[in-house]
Amino acid sequence: MNLRSLIRHETLLALLLVIVLIVLSFQSDRFFTVDNLLNQGRLMTEIGLIAIAMTFVIATGGIDLSVGSILGLTAILTGVFWQNVGLPLPVAATAAIAAGTFAGFVNGVIITRFRVPPLIATLATLALYRGLAEGISQARSVRGYPEWFYVLGQKDVLGVPTQLWILLLAAVVASIILAYTTWGRTVYAVGSNEVASRFSGLSVEKTKLALYTASGFAAAVAAVIFVSRVSTTRSDMGTGIELDAITAVVLGGTSIFGGRGTIIGTIIGLCLIQALKNGLSLAGIKGDGTIMLIGAVLILAILASNLFERSGTRT
Amino acid sequence: MRNVVLSALLALSFSTSLSHAQSVWTGGDDLPTNPLACDATPATAAAKPYDGGQPTNAPDRKGKTIKVVDVPKLVGIGYFNATSKGIADAAKEMGTMDAKTDGPSKANIDDQVTLIDNYITSGVDGILFAANDPVAIAPVLKKALGAGINVVGYDANSSPDARQWFVNQAEFNGIAKAMVDSMATEIGDEGAFAIVTSTFTTPNQARWIAEMQAYQAKCHPKMKWLETVEAQEDNILSFNQSNTLINKYGDELKGIFGMTSVATPAAADAVTQAKKCGSVAVVGLATPNAMKPYVGAGCVKSVVLWNPVDLGYAAAFVLRAVADGSLAPGATSVKAGKLGDLSVINGSEILLGAPTVFNKDNINNFDF
Repeated sequence: MNLRSLIRHETLLALLLVIVLIVLSFQSDRFFTVDNLLNQGRLMTEIGLIAIAMTFVIATGGIDLSVGSILGLTAILTGVFWQNVGLPLPVAATAAIAAGTFAGFVNGVIITRFRVPPLIATLATLALYRGLAEGISQARSVRGYPEWFYVLGQKDVLGVPTQLWILLLAAVVASIILAYTTWGRTVYAVGSNEVASRFSGLSVEKTKLALYTASGFAAAVAAVIFVSRVSTTRSDMGTGIELDAITAVVLGGTSIFGGRGTIIGTIIGLCLIQALKNGLSLAGIKGDGTIMLIGAVLILAILASNLFERSGTRT
Repeated sequence: MRNVVLSALLALSFSTSLSHAQSVWTGGDDLPTNPLACDATPATAAAKPYDGGQPTNAPDRKGKTIKVVDVPKLVGIGYFNATSKGIADAAKEMGTMDAKTDGPSKANIDDQVTLIDNYITSGVDGILFAANDPVAIAPVLKKALGAGINVVGYDANSSPDARQWFVNQAEFNGIAKAMVDSMATEIGDEGAFAIVTSTFTTPNQARWIAEMQAYQAKCHPKMKWLETVEAQEDNILSFNQSNTLINKYGDELKGIFGMTSVATPAAADAVTQAKKCGSVAVVGLATPNAMKPYVGAGCVKSVVLWNPVDLGYAAAFVLRAVADGSLAPGATSVKAGKLGDLSVINGSEILLGAPTVFNKDNINNFDF
């Protein structure tokens, strides 16, 4: 553990987050309060879940653009299974999540079996799944869920928003898998050099298939949480969420070319963006100014990290 | 092989959106309709008890300067620029309101909810909103009421119990009658028409379309309803959708309804570029500035809209009256500055008045 290994992207990013938090708390006395921070945790859960799965996908050098559409499709299916098919709500939600996971599996099959580049495959399913969501819903919203369902998206458990527990659990499990298991190593290996991995006897295809399926699962779980949070389903739910998730992942230091990235980096990136969005808004800066600043921070963070990055210091 | 799969996928994805567009679904909602009489007989309003919500432990704001945030569906379009101008005008006139407008850059429910949430945390006294979805916005508005904030809607309503009052720009059946009657005058009682709307779930548009359908069935039963297409509130998409309609139906298409202030000028533009001025009529809701070129060129005869500056102005006065306690449940009217007394309808709504019809003679008198 020398000085060199301390200067890595995640450390810089964490430092930046601390600075941002301090600056923002001086801008508005309502920013650094337990209530506000917990509430922000509530608001970032859906993107967080998707970003965690996306970290794995991007670490293999892939990408999943269809997550927003899977979210929309799962949300619509939750409502349709419950109201139109008449399943009990827990069964309906589970079935919808299964369908969303299957949508991710289909992505995986297209990418691994037919060798379509992930960018193009998921761009196509982005349109396909959104079209399905709109077609199935016939533009009707499903509303009026029972009160207990809102516990997931609007209430607290032990003083912390319910969905934040899910995000924490997902983050811990994903960190362990990515950092400490052979399977996690396989992800990095595939991302660093796919051909070499294949010749080393690693099951590249199976790994990728599992990742895109997991990505669909994460989006599907996020969908049910989202429905519970806003208490209605709409076919346009989750539009553009893939870009928010990818921004968090890339800001978190995951290389878009694969082979590098950590869950903690993604989580810090996510917190940084959410803190900026919320803090700037509380400080009286309007929405358009906020997104400009986030763009600037993204570029600066990547530049700064490239500046310190030397080949051979990847630990 | 790779290309085959890819094109199959793309074809599939486009076909789903197409089949969706071709369905008989007309874009209305499932609520009961109440079409007006075919002649000019005014409707009788049924009395309804107050059904709005109330803030808990709101501090006494009577006469004090209040901090207000206005959250429209989206910012950067003419219509909501006009409403926020009205709010700013009213705030200036009152001198006791510190109002600002902040909204999402796209008409997106999640962005709007997050934005309002942040303003609740920042501690405002009042929230003015135009909802992107009546139900999705309700939890965050209830949270605002729970925090003692006065909540008043305008333009697009939420569930009634999530806000105190809603300033209604025009009754849905009134707009529907004005639109369908104008169209019937232009294309005759047996003409075929199509509709370009925002999305099928947008509350106002869905309501208008449902009322239009009911009114057309009642008063112009031989008119033919071709198709309703979605175009978000997006300029390019609205133009493309209108263009598609013109190409798809050819001479059969006699008229296009634009249901949003974005769709109507885009439809007029599409008709102009297709050189169909005079053979395809455009009737719709739009702000006068955007329509001046088309009305001036004679391509569009009349544009229906309430005055959005007045709408914002009225909303600000209603919020002030609520904060002062002078507008309480059970009231039958409210004073709104230069607009005079506005009447309460449907329990907890305030009616702005009759819609304005802009045409060649008067359109240049308006600037918004």
